[in-house]
Amino acid sequence: MLTHATVLDPPGQRCGMQALRGRGPPLGPWHWRGGILLLPGLGRVPYKPSWCGSQVPPACVGGHTQVFLLAVAGVCGCCGALRPRYKRLVDNIFPEDPEDGLVKTNMEKLTFYALSAPEKLDRIGAYLSERLIRDVGRHRYGYVCIAMEALDQLLMACHCQSINLFVESFLKMVAKLLESEKPNLQILGTNSFVKFANIEEDTPSYHRSYDFFVSRFSEMCHSSHDDMEIKTKIRMSGIKGLQGVVRKTVNDELQANIWDPQHMDKIVPSLLFNLQHIEEAESRSPSPLQAPEKEKENPAELAERCLRELLGRAAFGNIKNAIKPVLIHLDNHSLWEPKVFAIRCFKIIMYSIQPQHSHLVIQQLLSHLDANSRSAATVRAGIVEVLSEAAVIAATGSVGPTVLEMFNTLLRQLRLSIDYALTGSYDGAISLGTKIIKEHEERMFQEAVIKTIGSFASTLPTYQRSEVILFIMSKVPLPSLHHPMETGRTGENRNRLTQIMLLKSLLQVSTGFQCNNMMSALPSNFLDRLLSTALMEDAEIRLFVLEILISFIDRHGNRHKFSTISTLSDISVLKLKVDKCSRQDTVFMKKHSQQLYRHIYLSCKEETNIQKHYEALYGLLALISIELANEEVVVDLIRLVLAVQDVAQVNEENLPVYNRCALYALGAAYLNLISQLTTVPAFCQHIREVIETRKKEAPYMLPEDVFVERPRLSQNLDGVVMDFLFRQSKISEVLGGSGYNSDRLCLPYIPQLTDEDRLSKRKSIGETISLQVEVESRNSPEKEERVPAEEITYETLKKAIVDSVAVEEQERERRRQVVEKFQKAPFEEIAAHCGARASLLQSKLNQIFEITIRPPPSPSGTITAAYGQPQNHSIPVYEMKFPDLCVY
Amino acid sequence: MSMEDYDFLFKIVLIGNAGVGKTCLVRRFTQGLFPPGQGATIGVDFMIKTVEINGEKVKLQIWDTAGQERFRSITQSYYRSANALILTYDITCEESFRCLPEWLREIEQYASNKVITVLVGNKIDLAERREVSQQRAEEFSEAQDMYYLETSAKESDNVEKLFLDLACRLISEARQNTLVNNVSSPLPGEGKSISYLTCCNFN
Repeated sequence: MLTHATVLDPPGQRCGMQALRGRGPPLGPWHWRGGILLLPGLGRVPYKPSWCGSQVPPACVGGHTQVFLLAVAGVCGCCGALRPRYKRLVDNIFPEDPEDGLVKTNMEKLTFYALSAPEKLDRIGAYLSERLIRDVGRHRYGYVCIAMEALDQLLMACHCQSINLFVESFLKMVAKLLESEKPNLQILGTNSFVKFANIEEDTPSYHRSYDFFVSRFSEMCHSSHDDMEIKTKIRMSGIKGLQGVVRKTVNDELQANIWDPQHMDKIVPSLLFNLQHIEEAESRSPSPLQAPEKEKENPAELAERCLRELLGRAAFGNIKNAIKPVLIHLDNHSLWEPKVFAIRCFKIIMYSIQPQHSHLVIQQLLSHLDANSRSAATVRAGIVEVLSEAAVIAATGSVGPTVLEMFNTLLRQLRLSIDYALTGSYDGAISLGTKIIKEHEERMFQEAVIKTIGSFASTLPTYQRSEVILFIMSKVPLPSLHHPMETGRTGENRNRLTQIMLLKSLLQVSTGFQCNNMMSALPSNFLDRLLSTALMEDAEIRLFVLEILISFIDRHGNRHKFSTISTLSDISVLKLKVDKCSRQDTVFMKKHSQQLYRHIYLSCKEETNIQKHYEALYGLLALISIELANEEVVVDLIRLVLAVQDVAQVNEENLPVYNRCALYALGAAYLNLISQLTTVPAFCQHIREVIETRKKEAPYMLPEDVFVERPRLSQNLDGVVMDFLFRQSKISEVLGGSGYNSDRLCLPYIPQLTDEDRLSKRKSIGETISLQVEVESRNSPEKEERVPAEEITYETLKKAIVDSVAVEEQERERRRQVVEKFQKAPFEEIAAHCGARASLLQSKLNQIFEITIRPPPSPSGTITAAYGQPQNHSIPVYEMKFPDLCVY
Repeated sequence: MSMEDYDFLFKIVLIGNAGVGKTCLVRRFTQGLFPPGQGATIGVDFMIKTVEINGEKVKLQIWDTAGQERFRSITQSYYRSANALILTYDITCEESFRCLPEWLREIEQYASNKVITVLVGNKIDLAERREVSQQRAEEFSEAQDMYYLETSAKESDNVEKLFLDLACRLISEARQNTLVNNVSSPLPGEGKSISYLTCCNFN
């Protein structure tokens, strides 16, 4: 008779014959067939899966023969001693009633056993998961929870190598729970998974796959459960789960690469989806009472934290895969346009990413901008805005190694946008009406690009910034032999717009640019282009040029103090910050002062000037006097302003009354300032006297009357008498007494000719003659500056033939001056002079070459830079000269 | 003993324009109900159903994707691991049929090349409003080498058949591809009649 028996294995296993094992006499031939236990003479008992490895209550097989009942009863009574110990321990943790919860003491026993026999851990896991899967199938959720709790506790207790196999069954259980439709089970599974994710394993696992988890957690992030509360819970669970997967896999090279696009494309959009619903959630329940609770239960915040964690762990190679889904998500959900969310996203990204990688983000944004170059202007504007915000955050690291490429992209977008606005279509052809381009949107986009250029530039170190400045300048379209300007109305319009946009960008870049050395801030090839006459004709462009100059020269933030033109009787109220002019700045002024003066002089003469121009001119004059002045410069500036006064008085240009008054007023304001800066009492007195006289008799010659909303002008300026004017002789007399070079002061200012003038003269003879006449009419003894120009130019030769009488006299005068100059002038000046001569010769040669054959290749940067050869044509990038700092 | 409660596991992804009835098909199949006024799916939806085919338990993981354009990026990421795609259109909506080539391009781009694609014309209960003839769809599916079926989630026409046929095809595909799954090779004569879903409830 069978007294003790236990059912060990389910039918179908090879060991089926031993399935019924017992103590005592064997029961005779018995076996399984088709799931039925056959006992000779006792009957047929269908196998129940629940017998498998567990205690079988006698009731289960009730109704069958007595002997078998006894046999099974034997199972119940004594199997404990025969079943594997781990199974017994596991079984014991489950209470009779699932409501009672985990049997704590037995759980401790199980934990102790697992710790002392770690090799059994995998079998415990397998058995537990088997039970759990069964319980899920039977909807016995109480036991499911208990099993999970036990698993969690075992996981926590047994953090060691042995965990590895146990994890297999653990993950299977979590997956089983996640497969369920019941939110509670999903959440239960996620929680366990998160606990597991926080365990640091020290042994690698080779064949774990988190594919299902990533897919399922991402899906949970998008839950649309009818019940709001449950929906939030499921979404939170999903986010936590994703966070867990990330934690678990991110640092393990052997595991499935979480950074692969197939995972990132799920994880990132899921997080963003939750992040973007923050406003929605807040607007739904504005009750402040619920605030603290909501803070805890907010998927958006959780998603943000998770995103930060994810990005913080991203290595160099992974950034791209992580950012790309963000860009695509923003595209798909059209989130560039209100751009609040896009900016928020990228703020999160920039702040959480490792700083050395931030330029990768910027690069990706830029290439996304390129990819979207045919999207609506608002989309592009959104991207650009995001770029500018991101650049500020990344500060120094934002640009990375490809500075120029980045600016190139932005400038290209700018040009494209100008084209779109002009042609009204995205492909340059006549619009087919597919997309209507709104000009004001393009304009907004352009403004955004310019702002972005500015914010990028502000993050750059000085040397790179001047590089960028040169680069932008080289893109400004200027007429030259190499690059003929586009003709026709559209061409001109495009050029003008491009010039304006690029100069605006330059202005942005130059604001806040602190450069101790003017030489590096304004290198000669930059200055030549900036001061080119092509940029002087248009009033708007002219103003930009002046403002750019101002912002370069102003290094002490004095600029705004000169925003209004006035004749203050005491300039100490302005609280000017003044430093002594450095030696490098003196050299700069030696080299470029004439160019600057000439530009100021010619700008003053423009008829299209409005108040803003005069204000800018005043600011420029004032800032040069403050920042770059030594005695010589002061003398030259005074001469310049007096020459401007002459322009107003002689009025060869037939300027309108307003312009003439404005020039008088400008002169008064500037001389007032400079006299107080020189602190020569007699000088100040003269200036004051003239101003007082004007106040009484000719207030229309003072800024207070001219530069107001409704200028009070005199209809007739013929009544201007000498008393109203500042007199050169008087000034040179009083300043000569204080050690200023009075000889020089006596000479009236005549603008220096440049190579460019000569080039442009070839185009319009008429202009040449008038300029020539001007020079003659002054009967100018001022040859000093014209010497290099006169020696070999075509014009001088021509003049020599036409007007041979004056030649001898001029020649004598010239010789005298040369001798004088070499006797008196400092070495630097002579050197500069010779240098200029050499460069002039070279430029002449170049011109000849240009005419006859193809242009010669530009000599290497250092040589040209040393000669300071003017570059009049638009320089291609590869020929661009970098500041010396870059060359070395 | 095996810890798995299935012999085969297949991932099926439903795709197609918004509002063609993907979610209803899945609901009908997994839960046996037709939810009236089903809202638009957000992102992805997940359902699981285990069926028994010739004594083998086949677990179907069904990913029901959103048809809306804005979720396209996340839904595309689910194509990759799919064993089968159910491309759905609405027979009463010409537009949803015209978009099919676009969907096929997406499949080409994102799904694995071994994926099985089934074309499903849904809503045949609305026959009087039919815009896409059966013949046209059949020709199209033949040209694209797809299996074609017309269903009604509302009337439960062909829904069961759709998934079960698909499961059968997936099994035979998996058998051919020995690498995929050879876990279960039950001995003849051994008990397989006890389905996991119908097993008795013991205490």
